[in-house]
Amino acid sequence: MSEKPGSGRSGFDRRAFIAGAAGSALVPMTARAATQDASVSAAQDPALPVDVTLRVNGKDKRLHIDARTTVLDALREHLKLTGSKKGCDHGQCGACTVLIDDRRVVSCLTLALAAEGQEITTIEGLATDDHLHPMQQAFVDNDAFQCGYCTPGQIMSAVACVKEGHAGSEADIREYMSGNICRCAAYPNIVAAVKQAAPEIMKG
Amino acid sequence: MTAAAPEPKANMGQPVPRYDAAAKVTGRATYASDMPLDNPAYAFLVTSAIAKGRIDGFDLDDARGVRGVIDIVTHENAPKLKESKLFSNGGYAGTTIQPLKSADIAHDGEIIAVVIAESYEAAREAANRVKVSYTAVAPSASFDSPGTTTAAAKGQNSQFKEDPEVGDFAKAFDQAEVKLTASYDTPTQHHNPMELFTTSCAWMGDNLVIYEGSQYVYGLKNGVAEQLGIDADKVRVVNPYVGGGFGSRGSMTPRTAIIAGIAKRLNRPIKLVPTRDQGFTIATYRAETRHEIRLGAGRDGKLAALRHEGSEVSSRPDAYCVGGTKTTTRLYACPNVSSLVSIVRADRNTPGFMRSPPEVPYLFALESAMDELAVKLNMDPVELRRINDTTVEPIGGKPYTSRSLMACFDEAAKAFGWSQRSPQPKSMSDGDWLVGYGCAATCYPTQMAPSAARVRLQRDGRTRVEIAGHEIGTGAYTVIAQTASERLGVPLEKVAVFVGDSDLPPAPVAGGSNSTASTCSAVMMVCDQIRQRLFKAVMPGDSLADKAKETVGISQTPSTQAAKSDRPLDLDKAFDALGVGVVEEYGEWKPEGAPLDSFAAMHSGHARLVGGHSMKYKIAYAFGAEFVEVRVDRFTHEIRAPRLVGAFAAGRIMNPRTARSQLMGGLIWGMSSALLEATEIDERNARYVNDNLADYLVPVNADVPGVEVILLSEQDDHINPAGVKGLGELANVGTNAAICNAIYHATGQRIRKLPVRLENIEV
Repeated sequence: MSEKPGSGRSGFDRRAFIAGAAGSALVPMTARAATQDASVSAAQDPALPVDVTLRVNGKDKRLHIDARTTVLDALREHLKLTGSKKGCDHGQCGACTVLIDDRRVVSCLTLALAAEGQEITTIEGLATDDHLHPMQQAFVDNDAFQCGYCTPGQIMSAVACVKEGHAGSEADIREYMSGNICRCAAYPNIVAAVKQAAPEIMKG
Repeated sequence: MTAAAPEPKANMGQPVPRYDAAAKVTGRATYASDMPLDNPAYAFLVTSAIAKGRIDGFDLDDARGVRGVIDIVTHENAPKLKESKLFSNGGYAGTTIQPLKSADIAHDGEIIAVVIAESYEAAREAANRVKVSYTAVAPSASFDSPGTTTAAAKGQNSQFKEDPEVGDFAKAFDQAEVKLTASYDTPTQHHNPMELFTTSCAWMGDNLVIYEGSQYVYGLKNGVAEQLGIDADKVRVVNPYVGGGFGSRGSMTPRTAIIAGIAKRLNRPIKLVPTRDQGFTIATYRAETRHEIRLGAGRDGKLAALRHEGSEVSSRPDAYCVGGTKTTTRLYACPNVSSLVSIVRADRNTPGFMRSPPEVPYLFALESAMDELAVKLNMDPVELRRINDTTVEPIGGKPYTSRSLMACFDEAAKAFGWSQRSPQPKSMSDGDWLVGYGCAATCYPTQMAPSAARVRLQRDGRTRVEIAGHEIGTGAYTVIAQTASERLGVPLEKVAVFVGDSDLPPAPVAGGSNSTASTCSAVMMVCDQIRQRLFKAVMPGDSLADKAKETVGISQTPSTQAAKSDRPLDLDKAFDALGVGVVEEYGEWKPEGAPLDSFAAMHSGHARLVGGHSMKYKIAYAFGAEFVEVRVDRFTHEIRAPRLVGAFAAGRIMNPRTARSQLMGGLIWGMSSALLEATEIDERNARYVNDNLADYLVPVNADVPGVEVILLSEQDDHINPAGVKGLGELANVGTNAAICNAIYHATGQRIRKLPVRLENIEV
């Protein structure tokens, strides 16, 4: 993949760019790690924990975690927000879907560090007080789940699907909800739920 | 009523929303790996890169150097565990291959080391740094590999007692006017429930708590205790919610006792979250099968001879088989039947139950062959089934307790528009699409097992039901709550249900579709004990008490006939007379024909299932009929199944909402088993190749445009007190045949090997 020097392409050096980007990303981590363990810098030992502040469901959460921690593991293992589920850890099943700045994201493929400063919304942040979100209510009404394990991811995905404008037809809903696997195969009920909730979500 | 909540017909309960709906849509439902642990250490598995041979040694220096690593467990330092026999031989285990016991490797992906670290990230990194040297031997992967051994299932699998036969097949086949001989193949499949095969273990002194998704908490509790050599009363398995089972969590896997042993040694809770690909080899799967069917019939379509030979793959040490001939030899009237099931041993992990274990592969063969026979006879395939319908199974001459097969065919055919079908293959099209219609029968044995329950009623009507059943998505909480509500006449919202905990009264394995029939029959019985106590209190010595308990309601709720009676029981009066604040009853229920040791076995984690064909004087099955429309693009050969229609009859339907959802999911599973699912095996290395959710194809939403489920009214008073036939494994049977039959109708090409992919179409 490396570019041949003098191959006539632009002067852009990919390797230098990657090194530079990684280097600049490491700066704040180094600074933070240094306060924890002055004897070893993070540049030497990337396994040292780092400080991260995540904004989850409207609240700032300070964490001291392994730099490789994903948003999913940060939520589940460190913030005790276990609604988001691990089904594959590879971005293949959608069970871990959360909203980051209102976009649906597979949290298993997103590093916690990369989500700093962004607004993370999980299934736990969807209901207000005692009221279910219209999408949650629609899932109840249409029996859009069986074992329930994929459900938090389905619901987060469904909320985004509506807001993206992809809930205009059943065919659209099926297509844009296909990143979330339901092994119990509640699919027709999920489509019905999204259809039911869409007008209310667009209104409100 | 919405589509999700069909109007109940006769002998159906109310389609109330799920008891656990709010918990599941808010993220509050806690699955095994969601359970809080006090300062856990994290485990990561290392699995074998060879399928057969020995480990020569480990180089662990690099792995130990990873910051945060606590311990690395291999066969050289693993906790010593006792053996557990295969569940079918009186044990608890789904495999007798015990990892970490020696340097020997029995299959690819066997657990060979467990890394324990302070964080998940460190455990994962260290696991990737474990270096292993092997001496590998060429493995036997499957049917056609050199080095396998083959033997009849009868005699080596204690649960496969006979190859059913009756009459003189050879003679009848020889003399038949119309004959068919055909072979069929079904592939390896993995359950892939959404919840990974996680295990958390925490010790409090000598007491162990296991958080693990299980379809049999009593089996797991007793099995782990046996392996650890401790008293089963010191082990508790907790899983109030299970993220899908489909059979994969029915028997104990080796990981649990290993993690428990390590947690004990380190004196610290351990949390294991295996990867998706590890799930392909540390649990069970549906093995590949091969079949030969021979049918002989008269010109009138009447079957005269039927032979079904099935062959299944298992591991070297374990004679697991599904042996679906017990069903296929009894489905249709036929005086001359023979059968044979064989097991082929290869260097593989031991297979196990996967949703409708015998029926999915074996009915694919039979229901495809019936369609082929209908073509030979120039007969409508529905009419061929009608001609061979029977109320008495041919092998033992026992009557079906009820059989609504043809009613299902007729209802489903009407809803589907079967009469619009032009019978000639390749005669229907829509633009570039070749259109085909196909159908098949489905059936599943009605099974029950002993179950206990505890029910507590307070004077304000609040009710608590405790039973170690399993909520695997079937609606267990919901139908148990409905049963108690109806039986006690208390409002549904006052009933609290507790399942998924081995400290509760024992319930059987959530397998063989026995759960609703068994648990609801037990809950009904215990509710009746409560009613009896209350009535005896207000009518002491009154011989009318027994009669009254059947006819008199105990609260003001108008939802049941009993409560509407003119003699409602005054709960306050009854509680005053008893002089207590709560009435609590425990009871143990067993089905008719259950063996003498049933209750003792129930407490020690052995479910004695009865039913299906194994009852003395009768045979009990649920039935259904499935119709599918298939479209094959004449140029690209893309295959689509835009319509799946199924009609099903399964005794009392406790809740049409949860029943419909399970049957709908089943139809989609059936479509998937025809068109999508197969675990590909690397023949050289006996290794699963597509061991992830991108390459192991399961249906996504876009694959499923139209599914229609029709629930038929059926009443059967000869099965169990609840009148229930299990239906969780009914709808995914036969669909694979219906789809191949439809592909034949669309294209004229008969496909006998699953799954069907576009490269298999030769239009």
